[in-house]
Amino acid sequence: MVRCISSSTLRVFMALLLMALASGIPVARAADLRHGEDVFAQECAECHSVREGKNKKGPSLSAVSGRKAASIADFVYSDAMKQSGIVWTASALDAYVANPRKAVPGGKMKYDGLADAHDREDLIAYLGSLK
Amino acid sequence: MMKTRIPSCGTPPRRLRRRSVLFLGASAALAGGMPSAHAVPSFARQTGQDCAACHVGAYGPQLTPYGMKFKIGGYTDTDGKDGKVPLSGMLVAAFTRTDKSQAEPPANHTHRNDNLTLDEASVFLAGRLSDKLGAFVQATYDGVEQRSSLDHADIRLAHTLELAGKEAVLGLSVNNNPGVQDPFNTLPTWGFPYIGSAVGFTAGDAATMFNGGLEHRVLGASAYAFIDNALYAEVGTYRALSPSVQSRTGQGRGDDMGRLGGGTAYWRLAWLQDWKRQNFSAGLFGFNTDIQPDRLSGGPTNRYRDLGIDASYQFLGTREHVGTVYTSFIRERQTRNDLFAVGEADNRKGSLNEFRINASYYYKQTWGVTAGRFATRGNRDATLYGDGYANGSPDTSGTVLQADWTPWGKEDSWGAPWANLRLGLQYTMFDKFNGARRNYDGNGRDAKDNNTLFMFAWTSF
Repeated sequence: MVRCISSSTLRVFMALLLMALASGIPVARAADLRHGEDVFAQECAECHSVREGKNKKGPSLSAVSGRKAASIADFVYSDAMKQSGIVWTASALDAYVANPRKAVPGGKMKYDGLADAHDREDLIAYLGSLK
Repeated sequence: MMKTRIPSCGTPPRRLRRRSVLFLGASAALAGGMPSAHAVPSFARQTGQDCAACHVGAYGPQLTPYGMKFKIGGYTDTDGKDGKVPLSGMLVAAFTRTDKSQAEPPANHTHRNDNLTLDEASVFLAGRLSDKLGAFVQATYDGVEQRSSLDHADIRLAHTLELAGKEAVLGLSVNNNPGVQDPFNTLPTWGFPYIGSAVGFTAGDAATMFNGGLEHRVLGASAYAFIDNALYAEVGTYRALSPSVQSRTGQGRGDDMGRLGGGTAYWRLAWLQDWKRQNFSAGLFGFNTDIQPDRLSGGPTNRYRDLGIDASYQFLGTREHVGTVYTSFIRERQTRNDLFAVGEADNRKGSLNEFRINASYYYKQTWGVTAGRFATRGNRDATLYGDGYANGSPDTSGTVLQADWTPWGKEDSWGAPWANLRLGLQYTMFDKFNGARRNYDGNGRDAKDNNTLFMFAWTSF
């Protein structure tokens, strides 16, 4: 059976959607883990591994979500990172990946930042999926 | 450096010395020009990186932007841990077969064809010496010539700072080969083929001075700047090592090219656009020198003015499928006052052009194929391009095909970062050699007779 949506209901829905877009309220988007893995390979994998205990130029990003910054014992962090007090929540990761120098001034990660918000979202979702 | 040997023809020493002024480039091209380097494992140990981070195909000299920046940064980048020893070693063994046996064995202890050789055994001082000082210095035992020598040497001082809100690296390089300090893979020193036969043929006899003509017989210094990870600029100068120093560093006195004029200059300008997923570069370079073969002040000189243009493109993506394209063109204007004065050239002026292009594809940083074209063309001169040439012409052209397998050098590789290996098969085909397709030497040898099959095992640790 096909239920018809009344034209008034449709108008209200469209109005709310347009208001949400106009006001900048994010419209839900499912993260793409596969794309996030590709973004990691393109942007991060030169310096980071997702293997537990595998530090390269940068520390392992295995189980990074929720981890306290500068908490891997055998990695040499910058003083700025040690003193940042950051906990790697999704929003903290997003801010850091978008502009590392702004998020942690004096940090040593030589990366200009990932401008595309969707790429960051997928990347962070991918990192969050790693156990 | 690998050298392809030209069979001795009993040339008188003076003549050899004179001619070598022009042909040292050749002896480095045919006779070498073959970069013998290098993914150096001590760099990987120093930085904590995989070889694949810096090198396309996880081995060899093809640099990714990350590798270029490591070199520009003076080989000093580190994971911050102490106790790293900046030493590495390398071995190259090979089998070479030419389509037709050579008239004479290419070197002592070799055969006219089907040679199995230990081409190189090298040790490297490669890595960080202090916060701002790093080195890439290679000493090589040449198993074909059975002698040791100082190979590539590049010692750098680099400082990173902020200029107008942009990151900038300012550096100095002291080195023994114009172009060895360049971070791109388009110039002859680090261009494809990255390895070549020491007892076969890889190019014709004539080559520009910039193409290996001075390698390891000079000492130079250059200052460079790399601004905003994009603009690269460099300028430097060189002086010839004295014959005694050349002798002490294993180059031998016999092939001394003479004294370089005070106006010897090297310059480089390039733009690198790095989008991580892909990158391209485009640039210009030049090398000017006046050479006095007899080292007598006031005597005639041979003047070389080399001007080049180059470009590259790399698709890196997720590093599963990697493709590269490199090309360069060098135009050399020669003013051969000395050669003309001693009757070694008919024409006082002439030019030589070199063109190269190659493309490679690597699958999973392990399986690689590369195809390249090369062409050298120049003005005819029946005396300068006399013995061994047809029609008084230096023209040579051909194609190089290579397939290789690099099992290690990745994050999960066995023995990382100590174990590194590349096994390869290379075939060089000549359309034209030293001026002709057929009978270029007057003894019935055709260009295709020099086609060279080269199988190599290249390992470093």
